[in-house]
Amino acid sequence: MISGLSSLITSGNGAGLIWIMIVIPVILAFLALIIPKTAYSGRATVLVLATVINFIAAIAIFCTKETTMLMPWAGFEMNLAFRIYSFSGFTVLLIAVFALLVAIYSIAFMRNRNGSGQFFFYFLLTVALANGAVLANNFVVMLFFWEGLLVTLFGFLLINQHSKPKTAVKALIISGIADLLLMLGIAFTVFQTGSLSMDAISGLSVSGMGLFGYLCLMLGALGKAGAMPFHSWIPDAAQDAPLPFMPFLPGSLEKFLGIYLMVRVSYEFYQLVPASGMSIAVMIIGAVTILLAGAMALIQKDMKRLLAYQEISQVGFIVLGVGTALPVGLIGAVFHMLNHATYKSCLFMTAGSVEYRTGTTDMSKLGGLMKVMPVTGICFVIASLAICGVPGFSGFFSKELIFDAALETNWIFYAIAVFGVFLIAASFLKMGQAVFFGKVKAPNVSMLKEAPPAMQLPVVILAIGCIVFGVCNFIPLHLIQPIFGSIIGNHDFSGWPHSATLVIISCVILLIAVLNHIYGYKKTGAALSAVDHIHYAPVLHSIYNGAEKRYTDPYSWLMVVVKIYSYICFGIDRAINWFYDVLLVKIVSFVSSRLRMANNGSPSRYMVWSFSGIAFIIMLFIALM
Amino acid sequence: MITFATISFLGLPLLAILLLNVVSKKTGGAISISVGYVVAIIQMIAAVVCMALLWMHGKDFIEFSLFWDMNATLGAAKLSVDLFSLVVLFCIGMVSLASLLTAKKTIGEKTLNYTNLLMVIMLGMNGIAVVTDLFSLYVFLEITGIASFVLIALLNDKRGLEGAFKYLVMSAIASALILGSFALIFTQTGSLVYGDVAKALADWRNAQYAPLLIVGFVMFIAGFSIKAGIAPFHGWLPDAYQSAPASVSVLLGGIVTKMAGVYALIRVLNSVFVAMPMINNTLLILGLISIVFGAVAACGQKDFKRILAYSSISQIGYIILGVASGSLLGFVGAMLHFFNHATFKTTLFVNSAAVEMQTGTTDIDQLGGLQARMPVTAVSSILAFLSMAGIPPLAGFWSKLLIIIAVWQSVSAVGGGIALAASIFTAAYFLILQRKVFFGPLEDHLTEVTEAKGTISLAAVLLSIVTVAFGVLFPVILNFLHLQGIL
Repeated sequence: MISGLSSLITSGNGAGLIWIMIVIPVILAFLALIIPKTAYSGRATVLVLATVINFIAAIAIFCTKETTMLMPWAGFEMNLAFRIYSFSGFTVLLIAVFALLVAIYSIAFMRNRNGSGQFFFYFLLTVALANGAVLANNFVVMLFFWEGLLVTLFGFLLINQHSKPKTAVKALIISGIADLLLMLGIAFTVFQTGSLSMDAISGLSVSGMGLFGYLCLMLGALGKAGAMPFHSWIPDAAQDAPLPFMPFLPGSLEKFLGIYLMVRVSYEFYQLVPASGMSIAVMIIGAVTILLAGAMALIQKDMKRLLAYQEISQVGFIVLGVGTALPVGLIGAVFHMLNHATYKSCLFMTAGSVEYRTGTTDMSKLGGLMKVMPVTGICFVIASLAICGVPGFSGFFSKELIFDAALETNWIFYAIAVFGVFLIAASFLKMGQAVFFGKVKAPNVSMLKEAPPAMQLPVVILAIGCIVFGVCNFIPLHLIQPIFGSIIGNHDFSGWPHSATLVIISCVILLIAVLNHIYGYKKTGAALSAVDHIHYAPVLHSIYNGAEKRYTDPYSWLMVVVKIYSYICFGIDRAINWFYDVLLVKIVSFVSSRLRMANNGSPSRYMVWSFSGIAFIIMLFIALM
Repeated sequence: MITFATISFLGLPLLAILLLNVVSKKTGGAISISVGYVVAIIQMIAAVVCMALLWMHGKDFIEFSLFWDMNATLGAAKLSVDLFSLVVLFCIGMVSLASLLTAKKTIGEKTLNYTNLLMVIMLGMNGIAVVTDLFSLYVFLEITGIASFVLIALLNDKRGLEGAFKYLVMSAIASALILGSFALIFTQTGSLVYGDVAKALADWRNAQYAPLLIVGFVMFIAGFSIKAGIAPFHGWLPDAYQSAPASVSVLLGGIVTKMAGVYALIRVLNSVFVAMPMINNTLLILGLISIVFGAVAACGQKDFKRILAYSSISQIGYIILGVASGSLLGFVGAMLHFFNHATFKTTLFVNSAAVEMQTGTTDIDQLGGLQARMPVTAVSSILAFLSMAGIPPLAGFWSKLLIIIAVWQSVSAVGGGIALAASIFTAAYFLILQRKVFFGPLEDHLTEVTEAKGTISLAAVLLSIVTVAFGVLFPVILNFLHLQGIL
């Protein structure tokens, strides 16, 4: 078996690489788990080693020409099939890059923390499963890896919450529902084509059974990407999970997977027609996500929660872009996916650095950190500029592409998207000023210093990425555009946006956000309460109150339904139980005690019985004749 | 060989009675139980030998007589054994042996009386099994009945006398009904020999039966229902079972009521009232009533023996149901259930005798946790009850299954369903009894109790072995039935 494996690896083609990407991280994951806590550097080495190997293999895969690999497995067409092609190669490369950066960050962050062995174990398992899910060319194989990610997700969230895994259960249920929908979607799709092989399916129409197939597959992908209504576990996870989890899973890997599938479903398996009903439906999901998550981000007082809501909001932009079914929307969405992962991972990591040094991410306890943590602060500012879409930074270019596509479909979507930018900018101005500017404020001011180098390195790299992907946006776009050559033709989207009007509108919106911030700051005198005039506006105030009490969380409603359902079931069960344990027993014991007393030992009574028995027999005879 | 084997069924008990009474009373008492053992064992062997001979010669039955010329034209009773009667003859031997094993420890000084009466009752039962005309059947029914009245009252105590009296009264009514019915049949058909009556009845088939004949049918069913203890004719049965001495209960519960009631009924149904839907359907309904009534009533009883008595009513219902289904499969099921019932019910009465002997009571409220003290009794009781409740792979499961399939197929699914559902009650009263007597913590006043020694435990063990072995080996019988085209 070992020789077979080695021959697979050394065979030099893509097949060996696929095994390296899936098997090596799993083996090293177990190694990281069994290395004792005292040998922390051993664990860290294993983690970095695994991600570096993965990174090298991913580059090799990215450079490999299209390869398919097929091994017979469970019969019934469930073959162990993998396929390397431009999009999957690109996606595993992104996974590898972010896995490496987060790995470097987390070995510094997790030092001296509980559960680092488990964290690294789940980390490497996640990498392997994500690679498998992206490279799979058979729906059953993909589902295997995809569902495996559910296990590691649960594991991650369990690390800090062993005794009361509320968030882990919530994430598991929400993601589980999404995965169930995905399974249904696969069933619908496979039913139409009769093949489990993914490359055998293309261009199905979104109608009839295809409608259900498309819808369920999209909902499954949306659930992985964390769009509404599958979002509500992310802010809770931001608070409860070890921080590197956030840039790793919700920040980058889950987005890559969800959007990878979303794009394949919309442009490859099915033929989504621009401005068709389903296209509008997907765009509405995107728009609602932008709006609601942005509005929730605005009022958060905790860095991690605020970033989590913003992250959900950013997914809305991507879904909006994919939903347009236009080439420009597609390129914008994939580009935005890359940019989002870049700046959002960077932001989460800076928040992590702040937490690492100050021990808190509560913004009311923080202030002026730019003076003591300049590198972190500058990187935070750069990433913020990118996420807000300030011209020149990466987020600006991808957002302009999505705006373009949204406007082409309907101006309402454009208006919502632009308003979403305002919300994000406002919340960043608030957070940025509250945490990094003004008077130095922290629970332990005297001991404050810059984050350790291993934590700074990925943050700086990502911040540079934010600039480079903006200024030299042809670099990522020239990687992305060939992937979708058959869809977009020879069109080149790199360079400055072609519509000056849209750019000006974006700038005006940003300006309004700044003015709004200054107004709020002057009014209340504190950066943290700069948006209070929105938060406590007459009608919004009660809505926000409700949202803070989780009245708007679909999970709460689901739990209410579940509770009612379980009460009903419990009642039915009790009733059945009562019937068997109480009623039936009572009836039987009543009847039999009567019978016992009836048999009182009097022969005359027995004779009477016998003669009535004879009468009964006579009656039977008459009836039967 | 054949002659010896067949004659032994009637001759051997007679011989034993002679032997026991020519010697002095003291000697007779001393050897009586051993003589009984010999008779019972020889009877079992003879039954098996006859079965083997039947099979070897490929015959359906063997005709014989005792000391008269069976080919004489007038007034000569022919005796005959077929497979069914051989099975019940084996059962008679088996239960008598168990009763003797129990009696050795429990009957006290009255061993000679007991053995004499046992021989008489065996003679009566064997006679029922082998006769071929209605009048001889009546004679042997009376022999069995009278011997059992005396046996119930053997110990001369108030309870036994009362039980015997009730049995006597009800039996007298039954005898009157049976005799009346035979008389009516005789006036209408001109014969009492099974085959002749059946032929005469076949001639009536296409016309209406004469009213008197129908009255005869009703009296026949009612009379044998009393003898068999089918609800609602069962009143005397629990009282008689409860009041009889332990070893007599074994005999009564295990075989006597089954011979006097059930076997005689089945024999007449099979040989005389062949394929008469009116009688079959009536018995079917009575059987179902009996099954449900017996099982429900058993759940509420407070006495070990009374629970067994009511369970007998319920199990007799199954046997009647199988026969009343009118199909060959149902008849085979009934025959096998007859055998199984003789086995497990005897086991349970032996167990009740053991409990009564060791603790002095059969009131289940005063018992508890005996499993720790009386493991053999407890385990054999569990096996017997599981067999009765129809739990595979024990013997009772198979026969009940055949009966229910037969009813389901040839009569109605509803009847089969009721019979099946009533098995739940069987399990229910079994669990009540097991829990109150054998499971749970040991009652304080029972700490000194020990296992019943010697022959009683031996009887329980032997019968349990039969129950388990018959169940485990049953697929062989199934295969045989399958080859015969019955299943």
